[in-house]
Formats: sequence, structure tokens, C-alpha cells
Amino acid sequence: MFNILLRALILAVAVAASLAAYFALSAYVIPQSYSSSEPPRPEPILTGVSLSASEVALGQTFTISVMVTNRGDQSDVQIVSVGFPNLTRTDGIAVLKHNFVQSPFFVQAGQEVGIGYTGFERTVKAEYPSVEATTWSWKTGSTYSIDVQVKPDVEGRFVVFVKSIALPHSWERAHYPHEGLMDYQQEFVQAYSVQVTTKP
Amino acid sequence: MNYFRQGPSFLLARGAGPRFLIGCVLVSIGILLAGAAGSWDITNHLLNKPETFFAPPHAVLYSGVAIAVTGAAMLFTAARSAAGNRIIIPWPAKMVAAGVIVLVAAGPADFAWHSAFGLDGLLSPPHFVLLSGMVASSIGALAGVVYYNKTFMRGSSSSSGSELRLSPALIVIGILPIWLALSGVVDMFSLPFSESDYFNFNPPPALGAANATLGFPFLVAAMLYTASALAGRRFGIMSITGATFIVTGALTSIAPNEALVPTLPFYMLNMIPIVAADAIMSYRYWRPFKISIYAAGAIAGLAFFTLYYPLITHTYNEVLTQEPALWASLTAPTYFEMIGTVLLFTAVPAAAMGIVGAVTADKLIAKNKIL
Repeated sequence: MFNILLRALILAVAVAASLAAYFALSAYVIPQSYSSSEPPRPEPILTGVSLSASEVALGQTFTISVMVTNRGDQSDVQIVSVGFPNLTRTDGIAVLKHNFVQSPFFVQAGQEVGIGYTGFERTVKAEYPSVEATTWSWKTGSTYSIDVQVKPDVEGRFVVFVKSIALPHSWERAHYPHEGLMDYQQEFVQAYSVQVTTKP
Repeated sequence: MNYFRQGPSFLLARGAGPRFLIGCVLVSIGILLAGAAGSWDITNHLLNKPETFFAPPHAVLYSGVAIAVTGAAMLFTAARSAAGNRIIIPWPAKMVAAGVIVLVAAGPADFAWHSAFGLDGLLSPPHFVLLSGMVASSIGALAGVVYYNKTFMRGSSSSSGSELRLSPALIVIGILPIWLALSGVVDMFSLPFSESDYFNFNPPPALGAANATLGFPFLVAAMLYTASALAGRRFGIMSITGATFIVTGALTSIAPNEALVPTLPFYMLNMIPIVAADAIMSYRYWRPFKISIYAAGAIAGLAFFTLYYPLITHTYNEVLTQEPALWASLTAPTYFEMIGTVLLFTAVPAAAMGIVGAVTADKLIAKNKIL
């Protein structure tokens, strides 16, 4: 009888000790160790932007090719945005080819878009159309590219804004460019231009 | 009423017994594959936002459905037997047949829904139909295995539990698909993954958290108790069943997400409460006392928040932070930030529901009401 009680007591103590260890590790020790760990730091960079022409006649098209690489940690999603501040509609824009995992989509002027690298936490209405290409789970060192054909509808200097953003935006280099010109979304952009001349 | 009193002799005729058992096992394996693939699919949608139907998790899911259909056909044909002028079909076979029919019907229903409304979320009418079919067929399959075992059991004992001593492999294969399917049902009504272009089936955050707090502890305790009871409360079977659930969760919800892989050792800690509950249940001098069931149930219930990591983070994130979305790479830090608060507030209801789950399973099994 004494042996039975002793065994029962030992088992009860062992169970209690193991549960105490489980709760201590789960609820305190491991969370503490995680609170000091850094979030992933993705770093997008534009590795190649090229225009098929520096001058086009009104009514003609040109192509902009954009290549972006993630030089940092894997990002949950990385976005490449090609914006056209001289346009009001997406009619003259076409995606010729891309290798992004998700299908590129058009942002219409007036559509709600994120602001200040916050994703959709804060939004603003788009002031001009753009093309956005995304890849979810963009791995370190991976490169994606997109070719966009566009037909300017006014003469003069036709500007294209290009930028890339990694989300969640965990540090100051999770977007490219890091400085310079800022668009209506309060995000830095790299500007390219093509001269649009009168029809021959 | 003992539902296993339908004449077992028919299974002895023409060697239908092994086919009946194999059919049940195939149904269980098929639903297990489908359930695991469903869990993987949720993770895939969170990480990779697939745009087509042809994703690897879908391939595995429909392979599981195909295996289940094959098993159901085998089981049903083996179960039909003539006795005099009557056709006897034991109820597990009927339940499997009904479940598989519902499961298969959910396929075209889902396609029609997609055609009409585009991409859907976790909870949608076709998805609910699919899970209902999975639950019914997996319960029917396990009941069929128990039915087969009782038909061919050697010796007998009047004490509950010891009449039901299935092999460990059959217990794990039988319990796990039920566990995964019912987890999917609770997930549907707790995770905020059900908003689409046309419908928002997301549960209100507080209701989602309540569903998780009450549903998961009940389920964990009921499943683990059932595993132990089907093994005659031998030590190890509950632990193996729990370990298999943990491995499945690790493979489908943690391993695909690079940011979560370092937390695998944390997830393995779930074996501690499971082994503790197993030890309590199996210690023979405690068996006559109900306190052992209550203690094991409470311990199993308390482990729900760590067992259902990482997806459960999304459920409580909505309540605690009011943030609309949680990035995959931030799941672990968010979870560990909330774990202390969540455990504090859910400890009592989780333990209580764990006890209720274990007692419910005990009553169902002891009186042979279901198994």
C-alpha cells in the first residue's frame, strides 16, 4: 500500500514539474527570447531599368523594362510600381511580359492605395494610373522583371515613376529608392522620361 | 443502446471482413490527407497568394478525396450482406457513404461558387459542406474499425475501455482525420480568413476568440481521451496520437513558413502536456477514479493555445490588437507577445472545456453509444 502511494506521489510530482516547465518555457522563457529578436529586413533594389526609346512620336508606344532584386531577408510581399503621372487612364498601358508570381494589376486614378510604406493601414486616392507587380514570399537574391508598354497621349516630356517596396516595412531600406523625389503616396520614386514629339 | 448489435456474422461470410477493415482504413487515410492538405492550403494562401486552382495542396487534397472514395466503395460493398431476405448495412458504412457523397458533392458546388463569386475565403457554404462530409466519413470510418474489432475480438471483458483495444496504428489513423476535420470546423468559425469580394463571413473578433477558446480545448481533450480509451488506457497511445497531430501541424503550418521554422522546438514542447495527460490516464491505480479523467482533460484543454500555433495567432490578434491583418513573418513575435495575456484569460475556460471534452468522450465510449 505504501509503495502504491509512493508511486502515485512520485507520478503526481513528475507531472506537476513537467507542466510547470512547460508553462514556464511557453509563457515566459521563449517569449522573452523572441522579444529581443529582429524582424526580417528585406532590401529591394532596382537592378535594371531601361526604356526602349528616348524619343517617340505622339501616338507611338515605348516599353519600359524594370528589374528588381531583393538583397535582404525574405519579404512577405514585395511590390514594384510603375506610375505614369502624365496619364489619366490605363487605356494606353499594357503589360508585355513579366515573371512575377502574382499577376500584375492596374491601379486606376481615384482608387484607394496605401501611403507611407504602411500597406493599407492608411490610404489615399491615386492621382494617376500605375501598374503594380507583386511577388509574395520574395526570397533573398530573387530577381523579378516586368516589361510595360505605354502610349503617351500628350506631347512633351513623358515621365515614368518607378519604385519598389517590401512589406512589412521593417526598416529604412525596405523600399527603393531610399531618397530623392517623393510621389503622392509619400514614397520615394525614381523618375525616367521620354520625349514625346509631334506626329510626323 | 449498443449500436454494435447488428449481426456481425455477415462480415464472416465470404471474407468480407478484411475488405471492410481496409475500406475503413482507406477512408481514414484519405480524409487524413485531405485534412492535412487543407491545413497546408491555408498556409499556402497566407504565404503565396495562389491565383489558380492548380496548387500543390489542392492536388494532395483531391488525392485524399479519391482515396476516401475508393475506401468508401470498398467498405460499402463489403458491408452489404444478405441475411435471409434482408440486406444489412451496418451504420458505420452508411455514415461513411453519406459523408463521402457530401464530400464529393462539395467539389462541383465549390466550382460553381467560384464561377459565380470568384475566390472565396475559408468559410463558405461549399467549404462547410466539404468539411461536414470529412467529419461524417472519418467518424464513420473509425466506428467501422471499432465495429470490425468487436466482431473479431478475442476474449472479452465487461469493463469499459478494455473491450476496445485497437492496434495503435488503427487508433492514430482513425482519430487523426476526425481531429483535423473538426479542427477545420472550429477554424472556420474563429479565423478571420473568410472575407471575399462578395461576402464577408468573418466571425466577429470576440466571437471568433470565444469559439476557439471553447471549441479547441474540448476537441483536444475529447480526441486524446478517445485515443487512450480505444487502447484500453495503455500508456503511449495518447502520446503517439498527439505526436502525430503535432508533426502534421509542424509540416503544414510551420515548415512552409521560413520565418516560423526556428520556432519548431517551441512547438514540440506540446508533447509535455500530452505525455503528462497520458501518464495520468494510464496509471492503473488512478483509473477507478474520475479525477484522472478530469485532470487529463484539463491538462489537454490547457494546451490548446500552443497546439494550434501558429494559425490561432490570427484569431486572438483581431481581439487584442484590432489590427486587420498579420504578416506571415510577424506571426511568431505577435504570438509570443500575446501568449501570456491569452493564457491568463483562457486558462479557466480552457481547463473546464477540456474536462467537458474528456467526460463527454468517456460517456460516449463507455456506453458504446458511438464507439
